[in-house]
Amino acid sequence: MKGRWMKSFLVLCTQPLVSIALGIPIPCIPYGYPFTPTSTQQEAIAFVDSISELSPSSYWPGIKPALFLKNVKTNVHEPLGIYPGRGTNFCGYGALTYLMLQDDPLGYARLLFQLYLEGKASYGNIFFEPSPEVKAAAGTLRSKGVLDIHPAEQMWFLCLADHFKGYLNFFQRTYHPGDEDSFWAAVNYAKFNSMVRQLLHVNVNARGADLFRPSVGNTFNYIAKKMREGIVVLYVNNRILHKNKLEKIKLQIPTHYIILESITRVKDTVTLIYWDYGGKTLRQIRSDFLHKIVFGISCCTKK
Amino acid sequence: MRNKRTAYIVFLISVSVLLFSCSGIKITSQYYFEHEKVLDQVESTYRTLYQGKPFSLAFTDKLFRTVSLEIITDTLTYIYDFNVEEKRLNDTAAKYHLDSAGLNKLIGYMRSIHCTWVNNFDYYVDEKKNSLIFISIKPVLFHSAFSYKKYYILTYYSQPQHFDPQGRLLDKRKMRKLRKINGEIFYRINDKVCYTISGLFR
Repeated sequence: MKGRWMKSFLVLCTQPLVSIALGIPIPCIPYGYPFTPTSTQQEAIAFVDSISELSPSSYWPGIKPALFLKNVKTNVHEPLGIYPGRGTNFCGYGALTYLMLQDDPLGYARLLFQLYLEGKASYGNIFFEPSPEVKAAAGTLRSKGVLDIHPAEQMWFLCLADHFKGYLNFFQRTYHPGDEDSFWAAVNYAKFNSMVRQLLHVNVNARGADLFRPSVGNTFNYIAKKMREGIVVLYVNNRILHKNKLEKIKLQIPTHYIILESITRVKDTVTLIYWDYGGKTLRQIRSDFLHKIVFGISCCTKK
Repeated sequence: MRNKRTAYIVFLISVSVLLFSCSGIKITSQYYFEHEKVLDQVESTYRTLYQGKPFSLAFTDKLFRTVSLEIITDTLTYIYDFNVEEKRLNDTAAKYHLDSAGLNKLIGYMRSIHCTWVNNFDYYVDEKKNSLIFISIKPVLFHSAFSYKKYYILTYYSQPQHFDPQGRLLDKRKMRKLRKINGEIFYRINDKVCYTISGLFR
């Protein structure tokens, strides 16, 4: 398994260099989960495909059963499509779910069905018992892009935000309509790492903070080194990642989590391929700019 | 005496600036009608190009010389920054089968009205997918130094929309629920075009 991971990593690293040199588009290479997963995608598919119908749940009045079932099946079949919603603060939960679907898709599917059917569920040592406000809101979020028709994702993200609390959530402990866009759902860096440690079967080596960049020497070299060890999640300032010099005041704070899939450098140009918002993106930036946007580097390795 | 008068004038100017900055910006659909022709050209050019190849285009600098081109393919979204006069822009457009003549035309229209971003958004009504075109403009004239909300946002729909008596965009006719996009309430210009003022251009 390790050999396969090394091979795919070498392909990921060298292919963009060759492509850039030849001036041809870089093809997307399927990203292989580098560790032995807790459960396989085939097991999860067999499980979800064995469920053909769901009855309405009294715990989740806003969720349409057929849509819920379709959503869980889609997520298990195509984990790339996990979408945290436009304008929400769910991106940390989205990144976590994307990793969870690679590590333990069967556990994810079972957990979601248990939550739907019983209104509460446990996963490892964690016991989810969502608040009545969250139960009422799931399935009713609108104007969030494709999240509008993904009630299972709405339920799951709301449950995560309701259960895990960090200092950013201190003043907003209870969900009110619209709080998916507010500090109620915000994920600070320590909270993100804590969620990953608790929900995934991995160790997390984290460098960085909410307000200060990590002192890791050369940021590119450090990230490239960590990519060889495990899965790397970057905590970045998205307002800079999507460059915008139109603003008078640009806040130097991180706001977004991305799962890094490849990083290469040619001269001063760094090419990143990362997962966020339901798909993979290729972005070319300068080395100094990479240092500027990265506030957290989390490396996940199998326990 | 002279010092007193100077201090008085400085005080009056300060108060005026503060009052202006706190008053908010009164922009109505007037902006749309003043620039209707170019705005509609941005929308129609983008819509045509988008049908050939999904993409979004943003200006990222104050002088409107640098564009960020986001090209969406089945497997990857590519984001590149270019100077608008760079040859690489056309080469990249050609590589991804994006009509470069049309793209340059769109860039020209956008620059002429300080349009910062044009994108296609999906939205869902009764679980049915629809799309709208989202255009952000950074007006140079009507924003005060201390105002927060400063982008003029227009949304173009393919179908006529529903509005409440105050002209606010509704999610559906029966629900009477406002449809907010990026947390903002939108107001009617005509049946298919709405506007709002926002602090963020995307």
